Formats: sequence, structure tokens, C-alpha cells
Amino acid sequence: MSATTAPAHGTTPRARTARAGFGATLGFELRKLRAQWRTRAVLLGALLLPIPVAFAIHAQGNPPKDSLFGRYATTNGFALALLVLGYAGQWVMPLLTAIVAGDIFASEDHHGTWKTILTRSVSRGSFFGAKTVAAMGFAILVLLILSASTIVTSVLVAGHGDLIGLSGQLIPASQAWHLVAMSWLTAIPPTVAFTGLAILLGIWSRSAAVGIAAPVVIGFVLQLVGSMGSAEALRPYLPTSAYEAWHGFLASPSFHGPFLTGLIASAVWAAITLGLSWTLLRRRDITGG
Amino acid sequence: MRRIILTFAAAVLVAVGLGGVAVATSSGSTITVPRLDRAVATSFSNVYAQEAAIEGHTGITPSSLHAKAMCDRGPNVTQSGPGATWNCLMSWTDPNVPMPPTGYGKFELNVHSNGCFTVGSPSSLIGYQTITDRRGRTVNNPAYEFDTCLDPASDNTPTGTTFPSALTITSTTVNVAADGTVGVDLACGVGAGGCQGKVAAVTDSGTALGTVDVAMTEQATAHLTFPTALPAGTKEVTFTPTTTIGFAPPKPVTLEVQG
Repeated sequence: MSATTAPAHGTTPRARTARAGFGATLGFELRKLRAQWRTRAVLLGALLLPIPVAFAIHAQGNPPKDSLFGRYATTNGFALALLVLGYAGQWVMPLLTAIVAGDIFASEDHHGTWKTILTRSVSRGSFFGAKTVAAMGFAILVLLILSASTIVTSVLVAGHGDLIGLSGQLIPASQAWHLVAMSWLTAIPPTVAFTGLAILLGIWSRSAAVGIAAPVVIGFVLQLVGSMGSAEALRPYLPTSAYEAWHGFLASPSFHGPFLTGLIASAVWAAITLGLSWTLLRRRDITGG
Repeated sequence: MRRIILTFAAAVLVAVGLGGVAVATSSGSTITVPRLDRAVATSFSNVYAQEAAIEGHTGITPSSLHAKAMCDRGPNVTQSGPGATWNCLMSWTDPNVPMPPTGYGKFELNVHSNGCFTVGSPSSLIGYQTITDRRGRTVNNPAYEFDTCLDPASDNTPTGTTFPSALTITSTTVNVAADGTVGVDLACGVGAGGCQGKVAAVTDSGTALGTVDVAMTEQATAHLTFPTALPAGTKEVTFTPTTTIGFAPPKPVTLEVQG
């Protein structure tokens, strides 16, 4: 229906891409993000939330043994940081990134600002690129803040004794710092994949609520799929499994196969979701809405 | 809008199709017996050496234990994949702690779909949740329960370690039926091949009650009934199990007659 007019509309501004400047668009997107209370709340939450969480877990009389590293979480800061990482990968990280990525395109629908932006000297391409880079950058920034805050708080609260790894081996504190930090960094690829998913859902639904909540729900569904015996072959290729790739770093001998698989799988997920997002955005009839 | 929906439907179909192909062509779970055998033995050796160090036993290192494990998911199920029914039998060498006559201890595993599992150790050999260290303090026992994660790409060639099931008499008294015959309850524990053999029953006055064949799968119980009725006034009956497959109790079991 309206799709026939959209490409024609999209080509005119794209011709001016070279002059419009990706950098300027990105700067503008970052300025918009900085001004939102939502962005500040997420950053502040990533910085401060680990503090009460670490204290609450540390205060438990019975350690949460059901979860990996829960056994020593009340007596060892490194174990506490890894226990929190296990939980964060289940829904916290998808949620934190979706709060911005799911809204970054949908907010233009919400405020009715598509026409205003796209009638300026900005192509849809550089506009899409700038918003995507801003959302990805924000996701990684939040993850780094959350990692640093959790590791530092955990070690301050529960101490930095030697850590018992996932092959029962004793890991000296000097090595444990390195391994725990590396483990947290392995959450970057799946978080990028979830950012792509949130962007796609935000563009597709034009609703911030869907863009923010749906990636978390999909994350839970994928975890369920991964836990079903009959779908075990799919498990390595789910972004939710990539959040568990750090297990191999803590084993002896350590193994990195799941991390590499997760890295590739996350890249494919990000490429597919961003590709679909761009297709949707490029074909969208802005004049209608 | 219709095109968008069609695009999404196509994307979902492609995803489901790829998923189906992945599931159909997969060679089964990465959680296998050989991988568990090795991972359990390695992890156990590490935590056991830590426990020995806490208790002040010198000369115990992970490699000095020579731990070997045989893992088993239970009878009549596929011997791979996640589950809470996995057991591992393990033998090791510690001069301070003699092994039971069977030569192994039984470890219970809860294996998750992500390849990580929790091992519960036999407290008769490992002790309880807390132990006393050299200075008399009560500390956590690292070998009591421990977590391990499997490398899905690790060596999957069978370890060749096998241990026999232990045949045990579980009755605590002699069961006398209404017709005067005697029964006894047996259990065949975790192990390779189940239990096969005979049980002979003799009263304290020397009357043979008969010999009954035993053929059990592993992790099963059975009730045996002996052909000869129990003579009046018998106080005790001695049962002597012998096995061709499985590990028989090293000594005959004598049970009292109730009532």
C-alpha cells in the first residue's frame, strides 16, 4: 500500500548523506540521551544497585547454593561477583540495554518528531546509524559500570580470598581479579545482540513499552528453549547462552569454545536484527505518520 | 504493513527451520558419560586435596589420589543429557581414609542443561558440611558439595572405568509369611551390569531354608521368598549372598525372627 511511496521518499535525503555528517547526528543523539531522566536512572542504577544487592546476599545466613558460585558468595567477594553475573545475564542486562535501545526509535513516534528530523539535512541511513551506535555505546557503558561496581562492591563486602573455581581448583586472588573481570566482559556480545533485538522491536512496534519489555520476555523464552532437552542443539546459538560463556574461564583446564560460539552467534543475531530494523525503517512511510 | 508481517513470518519460519535442522542433525547431548567421568574425577581430586590440607593430612595432592569415576544416569534411560538422577561411583587412594569393601564411594549429581552440575559426596568417606581444621576451628568442607562445569568439546572417548553394583540385604528382621515361609528384601545399587547370583538361608539350628536365584538390574529392589518353611522356635536366620555379577556383602547377614 503505502510502501510504494516510501523508497522514493527515502532516496532524496540519502543523496545528501555525505554532507549531512554522521558525527553531527551521533552527537545530537548522545545529547538527547544525556537529557533523558531514563538514561540517567539506568546509569545511576548500574552504579548503585550492586551495593544493596551485595550487602543483602552477604547478610544471608544460608548461602544461595542453588546458583553457581552461590556456595561461597557469602564468604568470598569473587564468588559473590560471579553469582551476581549469573543473575544479571538472565534478565538484568537485557532489561538495562532495552530501556534505552527499545525507546530510541519509538520515542520519535511517541513525540511525532519523525517528519521534523527527516526533513532536515539528515539521511535515514546516518540517522539509523547514529541511533544504533548511540544505543550500542550506551549498552556497553552500562555494562562496564555495572561490572566495575559489582566487582568492587563484592570484594569490599565479602573479601578477596582465594576462589574455588568450576573444576574445584583453588584460584589465587591475584588471578581471580583477572578472571572475574574477563567473565563480566563476556557479557558484551550477548548484550549487543539484545540491543539489536530491542531496536528492532522498538522500530517495528513504534512503542517504547514493547521495545523495552519484549526483549526481556523473549530472553526468558529463549532460556526456556535452551533448557529443554530436545532443543539442546540450539542452545549454543542463543544469545541467552552467551551470557553463560564465562563458565569456561573459571574451569581448569579453562575452555573458550562456548565463548567463541556465543561471540559469533551474538554477532549474527545483531546483524539480523539490525538488518531487519534498517529494512523496516527505510521502507517506512514517514509522511503518513 | 502486510509486507512487514510477511517479512516477519518469513524470518520466524527461517529461524524455526534452521532450528529444526540443527536439532535433527545434532548428534545428541554434549553431556556424556566419558565427559562426566573425567570432570567429576578432576574436580573431586582438587576439592579433596583442599579438604586434606585443611585437616592437616600431608602428602595428599590431586594427582596422588588417582581418582577414577564411573557415571551412570540410571537404568533404562539414555546415558546422556541433563538430569538429577546421575550418580558417579569413584575410587581414590588416601592412606588416611580406607575405602569401603566395594572400593568406591557413591556421588550424586544434579546436572543442568548448561553443562554445570552439583556433586554431593558420600559423607561416610568425605565427612559433613563442616570439618575441624588443624587449629580446632569449624570450617566449611570444600569436598562435601561442589560445583563443576563441563567443557562441551572435551575428550569424549570412554574412560573404561567400571564398578560393580553392590548387592545389599535391606531387611532388618526376618519376614515370616502366613504360611511359615521366610522372605528377605534386597537392593542392587548403582553400578555396571546389575546384580546376579544366589542367596542361601540357614537357621540358627542349622536347617537350610533353601537357595534362591537373584537377577536384578542396577538401582532396583527385590523380595526373595525361600521354599522351606521356618521351623518353630527359630530365633535367627543367616543369609549368605554370593554373586556372579555385582559385589556381594563380604560377610553373611544374620537377622532376628520377630514375634
